[in-house]
Amino acid sequence: MGQYLIRRSLFMILVLFLVSVLTFLIFMKLPSGDPARMMGGQRTNAEDLQEIRENLGLDQPFWVQYGRFAKGMIPWPGLWLDEQIYYSYSNNVAIKEEIYPRLPYTFALAMGAAVIWLAIGIPVGIISAIKRRSFADRTSMIFALIGVSAPVFWLAYLFLYLFWFKLGIAPPSGIPSDEGVVQAMVTGRFVMPWIVLSLAFAAFYSRMTRGNLIETMGEDYIRTARAKGLSERKVIFKHGLRSALTPVVTMFGMDLGILFGGVFITETVFNIPGLGQYAVRAIGNNDIPAVMTVVTLAAAFIVVLNLIVDVMYAVLDPRVRYR
Amino acid sequence: MRRKLRLIAIIAVLGMVTAACAAADDGGGSDSGDEQQGEVTQGGTLKAALISDVADAFDPHKSYYTVNWGFYKCCLLRTLLSYNGLPTEEGGNEPLPDLAADQPEVSEDGTEWTFTLKEGIAYAPPLEDTTVVAEDFVRSFERLADPKASEGGYAFYYSIIEGFDDFSDGKADTISGIEAVDDQTVKFTLTDSYGDFGMRLAMPATAPLPEGVADGHVRDYGRFLVGTGPYMFEGSEDLDFEAAPEDQKPVSGYKPNRSITLVRNPSWDPETDDLRPANVDRIEVEIGGTEEDVANKVDAGDLDINLDGVPPAQQIREFLSDPEREDQVQAYPSDAVRYISFNLAEPPFDDINVRKAVNAVIDKDGMRRLRGGPQFGDIAGHIVVDGLLDDELADYFPYGNEDGTPDVEGAQEFMGESEYDSDGDGVCDAPECKDIFAVTDQADPYADQAALIEDSLKEIGIELEVQALERDPMYEKCNDAGAHVAICLGPAWGKDYADATTFGEPLFGSVAIGPDSCCNYSLVGAPADLLKENDYDVTEVPSADDKIKECDTSAEDERVGCWAEFDQMLMEEIVPWVPYLFDNRVEVISDRVENYTFDQFHGGMALDHVGVSE
Repeated sequence: MGQYLIRRSLFMILVLFLVSVLTFLIFMKLPSGDPARMMGGQRTNAEDLQEIRENLGLDQPFWVQYGRFAKGMIPWPGLWLDEQIYYSYSNNVAIKEEIYPRLPYTFALAMGAAVIWLAIGIPVGIISAIKRRSFADRTSMIFALIGVSAPVFWLAYLFLYLFWFKLGIAPPSGIPSDEGVVQAMVTGRFVMPWIVLSLAFAAFYSRMTRGNLIETMGEDYIRTARAKGLSERKVIFKHGLRSALTPVVTMFGMDLGILFGGVFITETVFNIPGLGQYAVRAIGNNDIPAVMTVVTLAAAFIVVLNLIVDVMYAVLDPRVRYR
Repeated sequence: MRRKLRLIAIIAVLGMVTAACAAADDGGGSDSGDEQQGEVTQGGTLKAALISDVADAFDPHKSYYTVNWGFYKCCLLRTLLSYNGLPTEEGGNEPLPDLAADQPEVSEDGTEWTFTLKEGIAYAPPLEDTTVVAEDFVRSFERLADPKASEGGYAFYYSIIEGFDDFSDGKADTISGIEAVDDQTVKFTLTDSYGDFGMRLAMPATAPLPEGVADGHVRDYGRFLVGTGPYMFEGSEDLDFEAAPEDQKPVSGYKPNRSITLVRNPSWDPETDDLRPANVDRIEVEIGGTEEDVANKVDAGDLDINLDGVPPAQQIREFLSDPEREDQVQAYPSDAVRYISFNLAEPPFDDINVRKAVNAVIDKDGMRRLRGGPQFGDIAGHIVVDGLLDDELADYFPYGNEDGTPDVEGAQEFMGESEYDSDGDGVCDAPECKDIFAVTDQADPYADQAALIEDSLKEIGIELEVQALERDPMYEKCNDAGAHVAICLGPAWGKDYADATTFGEPLFGSVAIGPDSCCNYSLVGAPADLLKENDYDVTEVPSADDKIKECDTSAEDERVGCWAEFDQMLMEEIVPWVPYLFDNRVEVISDRVENYTFDQFHGGMALDHVGVSE
């Protein structure tokens, strides 16, 4: 197990390195605007432009430029998001200062939505697997189709329009800057974002659970369990579900990791000051230090949660062993 | 990338220009101004939204963005001269004494400007015991001349001050052209006579800078800003300038990308300020969200105005069609022009007759219709917006019809005289007229406008190959002399201050040719070596440099006439553009807002003039 963790950790570092190189490459080399020109303004003269390039290190070879940014990605005091390099080109504010207060909002949004989609998706999946072709199964299929096919931004606008603007039973978008994340949850500001975000996932998870459970219930060991006289409930929940949920857990880890990296659309539409909203702005402004940070952070969340999921396999499925 | 970009600033203004009618026309808009002043509710909280944050975290020496300028002008900073916060027709473009006790004394040759300061103007807390003195202006200009502290700003407007550039280049320890004669007197010496210097001194970057406040804050001074306006950031009193700069905590009233909260500045004395009624007690601005959502909040009364977004067309239509709400749509000319830019060195636009033909054949009314119709602004017949020329050229339409409809016959006549129409039938028959490289913005409604332009140009035998790009890359491409963009379909330009010099050198000066400078996309006045270097066949193009210099250095009372001549010269002798629309700026306000006033200086609602009913 120890060896496995070391190997996976090294692999994780490699992935993060590649992600950061790619991100840097894309944003430096794609024709999205000259950072020095953006910093200096359109009417900056050639000499001032050159000075800005030197200040930003843009006159250095690619790898030197990358190295400046890469150093700031090392989680070590004095290096991690060094404020001399990691400050926003659009407002001169240190990236750390923007990122840290945003993490709780993104975590709260992702975790809350995850609870809802698991609470809806897995039971619905189980019911429709057990009661195949029943009314419940078909209803859940319709729910899944609607959930998967309704775009999040559309649902978000619909919810805001209906429940806040027309009916007045939900709070509007946005979280006042003097309201912390806990207070915002208590005052119900997360309810609509949670529901909107969870619907698509819930639909997908219900179908996945259904499919896996149906497949698992056809396995030999399930027949053996039944033959041994176990109750159907035990067969399903102790033997069937445990195995059927393994791929669900894999997906869950991935999805949660992606969401921790920023819930782009939901945060933007509901004006939630999370990482996703910040990322959208950073990308729109071609703000390289900000983009580097959010992309690498998002990749880190995905990789770490994948690792956690892999470790959890052993708990969920005793057949899995690590070497 | 940076929101402070001049062009982005303009686009932000123009982007907001989804116009509704000019106040008088279509019923959208109401009496702007302070005739209602006596009835305005005092106190209360104005609630506004910004889709995107201000630029440069409020550093006035860096901020080249009209939204910032609106906050500075109304609320945070006072300058020697400033504006009354009203539209052009109510004097909104006239610089008036603000921190200066009176208009300046100007020497006969126009090079020395002396200001006497009002006495006893104190800074906001924690500097409430510090009064503004002449030395504070010297300090401010020295910071403005520091290329790092003013990165991305508009320090170039002050190169006309003697010794400014030397100080900037590190060749001098002081700016020789700025002198604190005594505590109450500051004198500026210019390199030449510049009649618009008063307007340059009404820009926020020239606000006085108290001692020690910006020390150690080259990058983030805006978050430690202490001014003299009627409002200050909430928590300003907690700023601790005794602490080392790295230990100082920024104001709590501005959270980058989240919120801005302004409260009354207890040091501000209304007796000293004729320009700012400052009716509300508090201004809260939430940052973020989408334009649609913010529009709903304005509709519901949760917010009073969106300061930087575009009100959705549907909202404008709904409000204008409802007699009870039509007054909540406010629209005024934003002092900006939309245009099509020719590359004078690229065939077939190296022939002036082709450029004239295009001017005559473009369906300007159709272009405006695609932006939403007559409410969106006036048809432009020339380059400099009418507001900066005292309407001298308001009836000047050298090409096409005054109502913006095309003059196909006239266009074909021009084309017939060009070298690209060998048989003189009014239709270009040269291969240079096919697949002409054109660039436009990929956002709405530019793509539709490009299609309309293509259709119009077919009448004179011109066929375009249009490349649609995101906004910044589009501007970069059009600005790159080496990119050989023959015609740029999507640009727009707005004033920085109310003098046509802001439409002169940056757009038509030979020093403004890219990619290392900006924004002379037409290459007007491009020198022979630049043309050769960029592989152009032509060896010369017409220049406007002499006229620009003449107008720049003309006296205050001669400027408008000079710039009007300049405009006509461009339209008739050079023809670098097809100007098609003088844009309006539209704002939708909540029904709580009283005494809506359009601040012509920054091009938006004057936050200090409005009141809110509870």
